[in-house]
Amino acid sequence: MMMTENEIVESLKESFGDKILEIESPRERRIFSRIKQEDLKKVVAFIRDDLQITHLSTITASDLGDEIELIYHFVYEGAIVLSLVTEVPMDEPKIPTIVDIIPGSQLYEREVYEMMGVVFEGHPNLEPLLLPEDWPKGVYPLRKEYDLEKLRELNKDDTA
Amino acid sequence: MGILKWSRSKSPWLIHFNTGGCNGCDIELLAALTPKYDVERFGIVLEGSPRHADVMAVTGPVTRQVRKRLRRIYDQMPEPKFVVAIGSCALTGAPFGDCYNVLGGTEKQIPVDVYVPGCPPRPEAIIDGIAKLLGKMESSDDDDGE
Amino acid sequence: MTPRKDTVGRKTTSIPVGPQHPALKEPESFTFEIDGETIVDVIPRLGYVHRGIEKAMESRTYIQNLYLAERICGICSHSHTTCYAQGVEELLDVKIPDRANFIRVIIAELERIHSHMLWLGVAAHEIGFDTLFMHSWLDRELVMDLLELISGNRVNYAMNTIGGVRRNISDDGGQKVKDSLADVEERMKHYVEVIKTDQSIRQRTKNIGPLNCTPAADLCAAGPTLRASGIARDVRKDDPYAAYGEIPFDVISYDGCDLFSRTLVRCEEILEAIKITDYAIDNLPEGAIRVRAARKVPEGRVVSRLEAPRGELIHYCKSNGTDTPERYKVRAPTLANVLALGNMLIGGNVADIPIVLAGIDPCFSCMDRMAFVDTKSDKRWTWTQEDLQRYALKC
Repeated sequence: MMMTENEIVESLKESFGDKILEIESPRERRIFSRIKQEDLKKVVAFIRDDLQITHLSTITASDLGDEIELIYHFVYEGAIVLSLVTEVPMDEPKIPTIVDIIPGSQLYEREVYEMMGVVFEGHPNLEPLLLPEDWPKGVYPLRKEYDLEKLRELNKDDTA
Repeated sequence: MGILKWSRSKSPWLIHFNTGGCNGCDIELLAALTPKYDVERFGIVLEGSPRHADVMAVTGPVTRQVRKRLRRIYDQMPEPKFVVAIGSCALTGAPFGDCYNVLGGTEKQIPVDVYVPGCPPRPEAIIDGIAKLLGKMESSDDDDGE
Repeated sequence: MTPRKDTVGRKTTSIPVGPQHPALKEPESFTFEIDGETIVDVIPRLGYVHRGIEKAMESRTYIQNLYLAERICGICSHSHTTCYAQGVEELLDVKIPDRANFIRVIIAELERIHSHMLWLGVAAHEIGFDTLFMHSWLDRELVMDLLELISGNRVNYAMNTIGGVRRNISDDGGQKVKDSLADVEERMKHYVEVIKTDQSIRQRTKNIGPLNCTPAADLCAAGPTLRASGIARDVRKDDPYAAYGEIPFDVISYDGCDLFSRTLVRCEEILEAIKITDYAIDNLPEGAIRVRAARKVPEGRVVSRLEAPRGELIHYCKSNGTDTPERYKVRAPTLANVLALGNMLIGGNVADIPIVLAGIDPCFSCMDRMAFVDTKSDKRWTWTQEDLQRYALKC
């Protein structure tokens, strides 16, 4: 029996109460829910075991200034996208990995790690995935502090 | 014309290297090899190893990660060697010109003999580019083995 | 990825594969740990074609980004622009005309047909069946001609715009599409027959590159790779977009969990795509093909998904009220299948590497030069893709 968007929203609210900071369904088949980062693992485990959502489409990280916003896009039965939003502080960007619950999150976590510098604690193999081997350490291109000009400067001494 | 130059211009072997493009030029280059366009009628054969190739067909902008490999593959080709840059990205970097991981067109890294513009160029345009190169090969001064 | 338990502690050999491929597509690199002939571990190294598009999108306007989205991938360019445009349209709260939705479907299905035929050719090449390679690429040209007829370009059609599509399909054009596709259908039926009966194809694909249903779901695989493992997921059906909600079609799935199933899924999807296209042309609604859309996009965020030829494509857009996006995220289907690829390869033979790699239809069917490193003697030597293929055929 397929759950509807409302049933998913209700069951999350029921199980986690005010740990769900915000939850809304902007249109059919889309749910956004904001949680605290320390509750992430519990919620993901619930999503997997109780709601039977096993498919993680990707993880999006955005730079909000003082925080980095992480969005885990889960898909229920190929149809309903449940996006879990959580934030980690910019000066200490750490969050536990969910690889042990959703094995398919491995590469997405690595991508976020190298693009935004979020450390996924407990990840079995947190290494760069996409950036060049000679990319300078500690430069995370998707952070707003690095604009395109600054990033292109990195290449200049290289082409010479 | 020496026999080496004659045989090279009658049957140049091609190596294809994508330096970071979107696949568009690559599938058009491959289409040029298949029956409808069939570059093999000019004696052009796609080769896997740079050591056997006379011509390198480069597609895509040069990314930072691929730069050293491009150089290495070019160095592995025997002299005299020729380079065809296929597609707008290989010419100038085109829409990716200002991306942080892109170093621009092929010519910034290795010397280019023929430029084929287009996004992507049609197979006919690619064949035309290679045919122009054959003319250049025939009229080139370096007469090897004579 | 996790190596097989029984080989842990034994001396293995590393084979870096890539990043150059003679025939097509993008360069990528894989390192294979092998024990004798058996693959025990796979370590992918992506990023040879990493251009930094997501960052670039933050500095360009929504209209400019349309061209950038088109060039994320040259094979599924229409999928990326559709995904981009429908996301931005949702943010703008613009409803595009029905006719535009149907035209988007027609182009998307033509793209699926050409992409799958391209794959069939490449796969045939990898198993040493070059006749089928040439035939399928010759027939693919029929579809390329149709795309050119409609859009004016063979690749990167630039059909989508925010608010609809740019070019109309005339009645005459629609008829030409149907006629040509009838030929393609006849050819494809023949190829399906060949694939089902030809002994050499069966031997090279049956039970090769296994990916069972549970790991496929756990590793979040997508597209034909997932559907060949018995899970009938298709965004077109489950999360309908454009005009797919109004078009009857079947989701093809097989439960062989091997390359043979992946081949059949793609071939039959071509037949299904032809049906969808025919239906869409017959039922093409009258009316405008685009509406005006504002240049500045109000604050908001949107998740946009669709079924690209290779599987589920997901875009995420966050807007901030200006004419450039605050954050744009793209996840292409190949990345979703890379983990599953490891699962298919581990335990397999070196000789099957090319075809299993090709089996997920990667947007980086990489591998030309392979350097073999023998860990015992530290001897290095290099193989080309051709050598590897020759070796594969010999075995």
